[in-house]
Amino acid sequence: MAKDDNSVRIFQGLLILGNVVIGMCGIALTAECIFFVSDPHGLYPLLEAAENDDIYAAAWIGIFVGFALLALSVLGIIGVIKSNRTLLMVYIILMLITFAFEMASCITAATHRDFLTPNLFLKQMLERYEKQDTDNNNDKLMSEGVTKTWNNLMLQNHCCGVHGPSDWQQYGSAFRSTHSDADYPWPRQCCVLDARESPINLDGCKLGVPGYYNSNGCYDAISGPMNRQAWGVAWFGFAILCWTFLVLLGTMFYWSRIEY
Amino acid sequence: VSYTPRLTRRPLAGRLTASTFVLEQPRCIFPEAQSDAPMIWLVVALDGGRWRTGASAMGCAVPRGPLLTRRPAATEQFDPNTEPETPPLAFQTFPNNTAYATLGTSLNNYPCAQPTGDITVLRVGSETACSRDPNRPSCNGPLPGPGPYRVKFVAWNSSGLQAETLWSEPITLLKARPADDLPVTGSGRSTGMIVLTSILSILFAVLLACLVALLVTCSDSWGSSSFFSTKTDAVSVRRYNTHHVYDQPAARL
Repeated sequence: MAKDDNSVRIFQGLLILGNVVIGMCGIALTAECIFFVSDPHGLYPLLEAAENDDIYAAAWIGIFVGFALLALSVLGIIGVIKSNRTLLMVYIILMLITFAFEMASCITAATHRDFLTPNLFLKQMLERYEKQDTDNNNDKLMSEGVTKTWNNLMLQNHCCGVHGPSDWQQYGSAFRSTHSDADYPWPRQCCVLDARESPINLDGCKLGVPGYYNSNGCYDAISGPMNRQAWGVAWFGFAILCWTFLVLLGTMFYWSRIEY
Repeated sequence: VSYTPRLTRRPLAGRLTASTFVLEQPRCIFPEAQSDAPMIWLVVALDGGRWRTGASAMGCAVPRGPLLTRRPAATEQFDPNTEPETPPLAFQTFPNNTAYATLGTSLNNYPCAQPTGDITVLRVGSETACSRDPNRPSCNGPLPGPGPYRVKFVAWNSSGLQAETLWSEPITLLKARPADDLPVTGSGRSTGMIVLTSILSILFAVLLACLVALLVTCSDSWGSSSFFSTKTDAVSVRRYNTHHVYDQPAARL
């Protein structure tokens, strides 16, 4: 009898430990997803204009899943300590629902990350940057968002275009239709600017003299944060779900043995 | 003068754009003159007789010539004795006329000694303000099409043409592709995403199966209240054992 008591106690202890870990991971998931949703790099307008912002939807789901995991882990601990069948069944069913939501979030983040290719951003930049003749209000808002985001990107990361300044030369763009090629081979933000945000040498910038213009592309500055967000949501969620799977299996086993 | 004008050798990003190009300066090319230093002019002509279709950068229509017959090349048609800044060599009517002359400057501005640290190049096509101003026939305006173009330098002073260089090699400018050509289809499914999706689906399926099995096998005995009492008894039995653990050895003894 003592041995059975011990093994039951150990099993209860394991389940409680599992639930504590789930609770803490839930808090971490919520914090991580709130960080991503706050968009510290200001890249959301690019995704919104591309109508491909589902990695943000995945992060929103992650916030609520994190809270749910925290609440359910508390419920699970109480249920295991009291060995109450009803509580544990409620816990199992709600956990399965949360599992399904988190699964959806992970798969969404991973799948939509694959859509974010350099060409997507290049085409969007060429079509929307400094676009003046917009069709409707929505188009105007999106184009302004894209223009502001690209200006910030180019200023803060000292970069130009997606692959480099040659993007502006190789492809026609909305920018090119309003700014002549001789005066603006590339936007002014591609020039090295001084403290007052004017080019330190405009002729040097137009000629493309190294040192007076930004020669590298901005794709790394865009894809880095987005990859971190997508993989952060997807793989951390995956890890939580693997652990939750084990805890749920154990809880189901415990539930089935409560009768003894 | 046997010198061939050429594009600058420096690695400049703006060496060739859609409407400008950058040449080396003609330093130490023309013979020095003590008095009456000549003006060096750059003559730009369209190479070959075929006219290019498509709107030019300034909006003036390039006339569509018969594409099958070759007109005489503008480089052959150019008469070096035409004085720069006169209507036949005005920028504003290019490319209807054969060539235009621009970037006129004194020979003294091209001394032999190269200033160190400075970048000495000529950017053809950098003045946009005067491209439609007929009062500035020597405007260095943006080129109307991708070309190809040929250039040469001529030296003029008050007594006429002094010297001219050879024609350069054809210079073709960049032609922009339309942005619609860019393919934006996704790069396919990455392995990470496939692994993640499949493993998660399997885990979820296992959990559902276990839940169903659990409910089916244990549903018959779930509703009865004897289960809770059994558990309560077990707890009380445990308590009982704990309380009486000291008594039992004593009882045995």
